[in-house]
Amino acid sequence: MRNGRRVIMRSGVVLIIGLALVLGAVVPGLAAEFPTKEVQIIIPYAAGGATDLVFRALAASTSKYLGKAVVVVNKPGGGGAVGVTEAMQARPDGYTLVTAITPLTILPHQVKTAFTYRDFEPVINVVQDPAMFQVRADSPWKSLQEFLDYAKKNPGMITVGNSGAGGGVHLIALAFEKAAGVKFNHIPFAGGGPSVTALLGGHIHAVSVSPPEGIPHVKAGKLRIIALFSEKRMADFPNVPTVREQGVNFTMGQWRGLAAPKGTPPDVIKKLHDSFKQGMEDPAFVKNAADMSVTLAYVGPADFAKLMAQDHERYGKLVEEIKK
Amino acid sequence: MDVLGSLQQLLSGFSVATTFENLFYCLAGAIVGTLVGVLPGLGPIAGIALLIPATFGLNATSAIIMLAGIYYGAMYGGSTTSILINVPGETASVMTCLDGYQMARKGRAGPALAISAIGSFVAGGLAILGLVFLAPPLAEAALAFGPPEFFSLMVFGFVVLSNVTGGSLLKSLMMAVVGLLIGTIGMDPVTGNPRFTFGSISLLGGIEFVAVAIGLFGIAEVLANVAEPAEVLEQRVVVPRFRDLYPTLQDVTQSLGAILRGTGIGFGVGLVPGPAPVIATYASYMVERRLGRHPEQFGQGAIQGVAGPEAANNAACQSAFIPLFVLGIPFAPPTAILLGALLIHGVNPGPTLIGEHPNLFWGVVASMYIGNFVLLLLNLPFVPLFANILRIPKKVLLPLVMLFCLTGMYSVNNFVVDLWVMLGCGAIGYLMRKWAYEGAPLLLALVLGPKMEVAFRQSLMISHGGFAIFVERPVSLGFLLATLGFLLLPPLKRAVRSLNPKRAATA
Repeated sequence: MRNGRRVIMRSGVVLIIGLALVLGAVVPGLAAEFPTKEVQIIIPYAAGGATDLVFRALAASTSKYLGKAVVVVNKPGGGGAVGVTEAMQARPDGYTLVTAITPLTILPHQVKTAFTYRDFEPVINVVQDPAMFQVRADSPWKSLQEFLDYAKKNPGMITVGNSGAGGGVHLIALAFEKAAGVKFNHIPFAGGGPSVTALLGGHIHAVSVSPPEGIPHVKAGKLRIIALFSEKRMADFPNVPTVREQGVNFTMGQWRGLAAPKGTPPDVIKKLHDSFKQGMEDPAFVKNAADMSVTLAYVGPADFAKLMAQDHERYGKLVEEIKK
Repeated sequence: MDVLGSLQQLLSGFSVATTFENLFYCLAGAIVGTLVGVLPGLGPIAGIALLIPATFGLNATSAIIMLAGIYYGAMYGGSTTSILINVPGETASVMTCLDGYQMARKGRAGPALAISAIGSFVAGGLAILGLVFLAPPLAEAALAFGPPEFFSLMVFGFVVLSNVTGGSLLKSLMMAVVGLLIGTIGMDPVTGNPRFTFGSISLLGGIEFVAVAIGLFGIAEVLANVAEPAEVLEQRVVVPRFRDLYPTLQDVTQSLGAILRGTGIGFGVGLVPGPAPVIATYASYMVERRLGRHPEQFGQGAIQGVAGPEAANNAACQSAFIPLFVLGIPFAPPTAILLGALLIHGVNPGPTLIGEHPNLFWGVVASMYIGNFVLLLLNLPFVPLFANILRIPKKVLLPLVMLFCLTGMYSVNNFVVDLWVMLGCGAIGYLMRKWAYEGAPLLLALVLGPKMEVAFRQSLMISHGGFAIFVERPVSLGFLLATLGFLLLPPLKRAVRSLNPKRAATA
């Protein structure tokens, strides 16, 4: 009997919610009409990388705020160009999003891509990771000053690994070189992992990386952060000063956010932005991000657009320099 | 390392692994892994990556137990399609096609499937022992491999393994060069400039290995069958008799040596950064063909040619966990994804992992024993089922194989260009088969070539252009000398023989 009543009550609740949804859908101009089906995020990289992990976790925590499932699809290839091109060509209805990360402003300078950041509407920035140089704990350079002094006296002798030619941390290392007035020998690897391995084995002198790469080894005392390019010190390493504190005026990092194809209606962007912001603040996601050592940094659509424009110009100049 | 201490830890690991929950996740991982391995295209990498979100709610130990199970489970499943329909599901099972498929054509699919499960089981068990007792010193040794050492190792592998099937050396080398050329398509690894892409974004990421492998083996096989007269298509492949479903005692004794050698090779190669399963399986096949009393049987359905490589890929898969757990460094792509999974579950992979999370490490190691045992029990009863697939008439089976290849391939990257590459390689593979060119050296070069190029250029960048870096470092020099010895030995032998005609006559 009690069970029966509960079932009736429950179906009543479901009916009311259903009616509300239908009403919401027929009343025009309300943001509630979006979404009516699941939203897809194209990740232009293989599954299992840092971008993939962050946005899979975010998709899981955002679904409940958006009211529809958020689905992740990996479309790797072409250094990210394949997936981004597909997203650019998708219908601008808000159901197809793409991860917008730093290489979006690098790739168009390197190869003839069909897109630039201008072909997308920024939705939200989620992560901003500081870039840094790490050296072995037993390295002879104990401070940034010693490191740069040696580099000045021996131009091109310090080997600095990076995660791939023309990738974010490679260009950041080039930019730092210019800011500090030194010259390094840049060695590209197939990803941040292999570059850290080569550093641990003593085959190179330093690596240019973004967390979480190398961080566990810093915590274990095998590696040391010798140059930190963030604006503030990192929460995990309060004793490591930034390079700006030490007189080199330089900050650079990598961001990871979401964008929609150009022409997506503003009210849809707003609905997406609000839901992903709630997803970002969800305790489950905050914990996942902390576990991965990524630095969450919310940036709204307008400021995200400025950030992309600024980096697009900055990386354009850097890429020109490598090509020389 | 303290042997008794390790044993004690392992026992406590079993108490972690045998809780109801963890047994369930171990079983789930093993089953999913087998399925992922059976489906062509979908490999352990995709399987683990897709299931990471499903583990968000689990504790770290259960999650890693399940994800690790997918990895080694896939090594069991991978051989199935290679043997039955000549489709290598992933890089590690290319070698299994050579003799496994020939065995199936002779009605011996059952023994081939069974021996690959037994080989995988023995190799898995022995390699986990290595993981328990030898992990820390071996992991440190692996760090000695920098770009110059890696390059020299690749040179060695390239020269020694390119004639893996023992056919015409000239044709093998020609195929290897084609593989090297295909490997240069895509972004230049040092400057990031596009090479041989003809302005197409689709080629920027290079040519997908799995597409070439399935094309050259699976699709080419379908085409070769279609080209047969119509009455052949009406036939069934070969109907296996029931008593032929499981290997005979003779099969097992013949395979035992191959399994043990394959385990050793796989375990060693798995510790080195790079495409371990490919090198390990090629090397094992090569060794078996050289040691075998009947090298002419290889390629015609020699059971050692299935047992050795299958043991090698499972051993390599287990030993790849050593650098991951001891140093927090992933040497192989699947372990890189496991590293991501560790991070998501709040476990910092690195030199302190075993000390900080002994329950996780020993629990996972113990679960590997259970998992391997489960996989053996799981795979052997499936042998008759799978072998019976060959009872399907060819005119029905071949279109199914085609469909299977197309959907499997698309599921890897969701990328249509891969399908065209696969079909194109199928057509080329058919012609290659007609004129007796081997696909195996091409695939080896396609995997090793890009890595060799990167290591070569990295070394020269580190040395500012000096070639001495390759001979100044002892490990690198050792590999180069071994390569030289391998190349010079046969002509030297011949020269000695011609100087001493009497011995040549008796020999």
